[in-house]
Amino acid sequence: MAEAIAKSAFTGKEHAHPAPSFALFNRPTTKTGLVGWLTTVDHKKIGMLYGGFAIFFFLVGGLEALMIRTQLIVPNNHFISARLYNELFTMHGTTMIFLAVMPLNAAFFNLLIPIQVGARDVAFPRLNSFSLWVWVVGAILLNVGWLSHFVPSWKFGGAPAMGWFGYAPLTSKTFTPELATDFWVLGLQVLGVSSIVASLNFIVTIINMRAPGLTMMRLPVFTWMALVTSFLLILALPAIAIALIEVMFDRNFGTNFFEVSGGGQPILWQHLFWVFGHPEVYILILPPMGYVSEILPTFARKPLFGYPIVVFSGVAIGFIGFGVWSHHMFTTGMGNVATAAFSLATMAIAVPTGVKVFNWIGTLWGGRIVTRVPMMFALGFIWMFMMGGLSGIMHSAAPADAQQQDSYFVIAHFHYVLIGGATFALLAAIHFWFPKFFGRMVPEFWGKVSFWIIFVGFNCTFFPMHFLGLNGMPRRTWTYDSNMGWNEGNLFASCGAYLLGIGIFTYFAVLVWSYFKGVKCGNDPWDARTLEWSIPSPPPEHNFAAIPTVHARDAWWYEKTHKDEIAKEKAEHIKAEESHGGIHMPDQSWYPLFAAMGLLIATFNFAQLRHPVMMLGNQVLGSHLPLALTGGVIFLSACYLWALEGPGGYHIHIDAEGKVTEARGDHH
Amino acid sequence: MSAPAITSADAGHHEPSKFHFYIQIAMILAVITGVEVVLVYLPIVKWFVVTALITLSTVKFMFVIFFFMHLRWDKVFCTILFFIGLILAGFTMFALLHLFGAEASKPLTAAALDFARLAVG
Amino acid sequence: MSSHAATGHIDHHHDSTTSTGIPNKKLLWWAFLASDCMFFGALISSHLVYRMNPPPGNAVPTQVFNIELTSFSTFILLMSSLLMALAVNAIQKGNVKSTRTMLLGTMFFGCIFLGGQVFEFTHFVQDKHMTLSNSIFGSTFFTLTGTHGTHVAIGVLLLGMMYVRTFKPAHGGSLLMNFLHLLAIAVAAGVAFIVFVPGLLEITEGASLGAMLSHDAKPLAVGVAALIALVWFARTGSADVEFGEKNAIDVEAIGLYWHFVDIVWIIIFTAVYLLEYL
Repeated sequence: MAEAIAKSAFTGKEHAHPAPSFALFNRPTTKTGLVGWLTTVDHKKIGMLYGGFAIFFFLVGGLEALMIRTQLIVPNNHFISARLYNELFTMHGTTMIFLAVMPLNAAFFNLLIPIQVGARDVAFPRLNSFSLWVWVVGAILLNVGWLSHFVPSWKFGGAPAMGWFGYAPLTSKTFTPELATDFWVLGLQVLGVSSIVASLNFIVTIINMRAPGLTMMRLPVFTWMALVTSFLLILALPAIAIALIEVMFDRNFGTNFFEVSGGGQPILWQHLFWVFGHPEVYILILPPMGYVSEILPTFARKPLFGYPIVVFSGVAIGFIGFGVWSHHMFTTGMGNVATAAFSLATMAIAVPTGVKVFNWIGTLWGGRIVTRVPMMFALGFIWMFMMGGLSGIMHSAAPADAQQQDSYFVIAHFHYVLIGGATFALLAAIHFWFPKFFGRMVPEFWGKVSFWIIFVGFNCTFFPMHFLGLNGMPRRTWTYDSNMGWNEGNLFASCGAYLLGIGIFTYFAVLVWSYFKGVKCGNDPWDARTLEWSIPSPPPEHNFAAIPTVHARDAWWYEKTHKDEIAKEKAEHIKAEESHGGIHMPDQSWYPLFAAMGLLIATFNFAQLRHPVMMLGNQVLGSHLPLALTGGVIFLSACYLWALEGPGGYHIHIDAEGKVTEARGDHH
Repeated sequence: MSAPAITSADAGHHEPSKFHFYIQIAMILAVITGVEVVLVYLPIVKWFVVTALITLSTVKFMFVIFFFMHLRWDKVFCTILFFIGLILAGFTMFALLHLFGAEASKPLTAAALDFARLAVG
Repeated sequence: MSSHAATGHIDHHHDSTTSTGIPNKKLLWWAFLASDCMFFGALISSHLVYRMNPPPGNAVPTQVFNIELTSFSTFILLMSSLLMALAVNAIQKGNVKSTRTMLLGTMFFGCIFLGGQVFEFTHFVQDKHMTLSNSIFGSTFFTLTGTHGTHVAIGVLLLGMMYVRTFKPAHGGSLLMNFLHLLAIAVAAGVAFIVFVPGLLEITEGASLGAMLSHDAKPLAVGVAALIALVWFARTGSADVEFGEKNAIDVEAIGLYWHFVDIVWIIIFTAVYLLEYL
């Protein structure tokens, strides 16, 4: 077991003299300031960066939604142009899914997983940093089109406007010739790379870096859900990667994948997109189910009911989720057999989902409910997510779906599961873990105020949409006539949207206030159950003074109730680690950032491949290819230097008073 | 550490060299490839050739992953991990082929062509 | 335990510092290959779906393909897999010289395969008039086999990087020499598969050697210069290198990638080429 704490011999650097370094840029050592953040490999800092960017884009997406709802508040409105409306609903969907919810989940994966498995960082720290900066590149590519509204000479044609799912043949050069579509294609491709790389890292971390005694069935449910989500990501993203390559080839190299005149079939895009797209929604919701599975036991003062079945249901949802994609295509004429098969599979997936809901209720039953803010959001999650699930089951019946498809009923359904479900759980999680990572509490009163405004605003916005949809209002329409019977519903929904906006603003304003002025707290303000609550708030860079040995599920709860046993173990582990040279920490690096920058240059120019390069009105180059290639060379060089740099690392020693000293230069 | 040709490390290696074993596997793979190519030209009923080709390819596939990629001697989790991806890909391909092969999914041009061929005789 | 300084023995099949005993890098690569299965699965599906109801005016594969060449390419790739397995075997025994030879051999066979692809693509476009854009078969075929070829090329690059890595001196060593060594490998490989191998294949199809030498004189000269540089680097490399049995995991990781590219080709050869002849 002491061996398990020692470094692996596989890094191969156990020599008396330091190995020669092929460093072009030395390993940065500063922990603060811009350089500290740009070159960080600390999973906690990376988590904060993901979270910060995600919250920014969450607010951007919310603004896009408010503009949509303002346009629809009265019939025949002209608040914005039809073209801008298309850009807004496209970007609202793309932003909320890829730039808000997914990176917020990534933030929690980064912040929590290493600590919950009892490790000091992820398996590949530089790769983790790479995922983050590549994600930023994707976010830039997706949003760069907005700039062309403000800078006329940048002829991108505005933001992408063909719907967040980019159906063919609308995405062909014939119908959307502007660069906006090319940036969307490349932006999503880059985001896919970021997610796959991050997921591979988390899979290896969760499976291979668990503390001694931490068997898979003792993992926190959140970590299990993160593992399933990571598997879903690496297995689903390739399908959309291929679809995006095909549409990019159609647009730029004249292929006929979705070009009917050349023998192609646009329906292939729909299939490949939804082969990714359906697992994607489980990717969005499984981590929130994980947060709720941690929060409910903490505030019901009881362990999670039916842990094995909750874990198994999560795995089942992930697995079955790969077999239901054509339920997004019931109205495309696939034939009776296909339609029936997917309808049945979709109904089947409701079973493990329902099982989870029952287990959450079982957790609450007989517990002593403490209605703190995270608990209120978690309880709201159970109810709202269930409502979204019920409208989802209505969709699974293909004949009913023939009426509901492409109407506001679908919008009601997925906002109930995505806001009522995913977002509520995320807001719960932010409140719950804020004290851990910032060391301060969020005031209860204002937290509850924000909860109620959000809860009421959300339901006022989206409940009417069920009826609007069943009464025939189609999705993605810029405006509607006043004699359709949709006026009151839309007015009510838009007012609800403004209220929801106020609620979200309140929530984040309170958080910002709390960051500066919140009451300081210790390591375990909620009297919680999992390992992250065993370390100081905010956590030190090395996470644990001593790697814990896990004896049971809810490892921290066991530690609190067996204090002497744990204290002896910790002393032993600290001695063992010191005898191996101290606590081993990963080195920071410039190369993940440089590689991402190379990727940005390469993709930004590749999107505009055939267009000439203009500078101040004059043509400088015939095409963007040389610039794209330059970006590619920078990317490859950075990756090569990254490999040559080697894993590196240094040691820290903690003395009896808890003071940390770094020891660099010694090999290990 | 210097680059030893074969060091005293040999004493620590308990397994015999797989060198000759790998050569044998490669020979089998080459022979199977040859058989596949010949099979296509033989005057045998189509369903048999298709089945044979798929079987032979599967055998080559398994040889490479279990022997060259070492799955046979590694921890079984590596095999499980890879087969998750493989089986899911296979299932997705199976579903897509059936979806596009359905009568309802035939593109109009192909249907028209079939009809024209039938009509002309 | 798993130190190698004293006993010289590394257990290449068990890493006791991880929860499963599987080294982290190995687990990462197997997970990545599972993902790559889905990637090629979607691409192969796209191709096969469009073979089900071919539209009028589509290219006819049996009139376009040269099955002898493709069979030869398949054999070549399988042999490259053998050499890769032998390279991993060699480094697990600490035999750096043998590892280098096997790595070079794998790269060489990889370049023959790529050269065959270049030759095949050129002929399909120029002689059979099948391009990316003038038929659906062309679109799916070139995208699928081109993506596979790109994977092979990336593999050759990774192998080249690993080959250069085996020369890292235990003392001193310069980044510039390392880059130049890699550049030499890249140039040699590039000339091999873009010019040399296709040229040789042309000769088997009846072109004259003289015509090839005069037509491709410049790139061939550059390639020869790169080869001479490689021989020079190999000869003058320090005998004392910072590379040995402890680096076996990295060679094994590249090996996994290379073998995967081979098994994808096994599927492509059957599904895209052979099944068309029935």
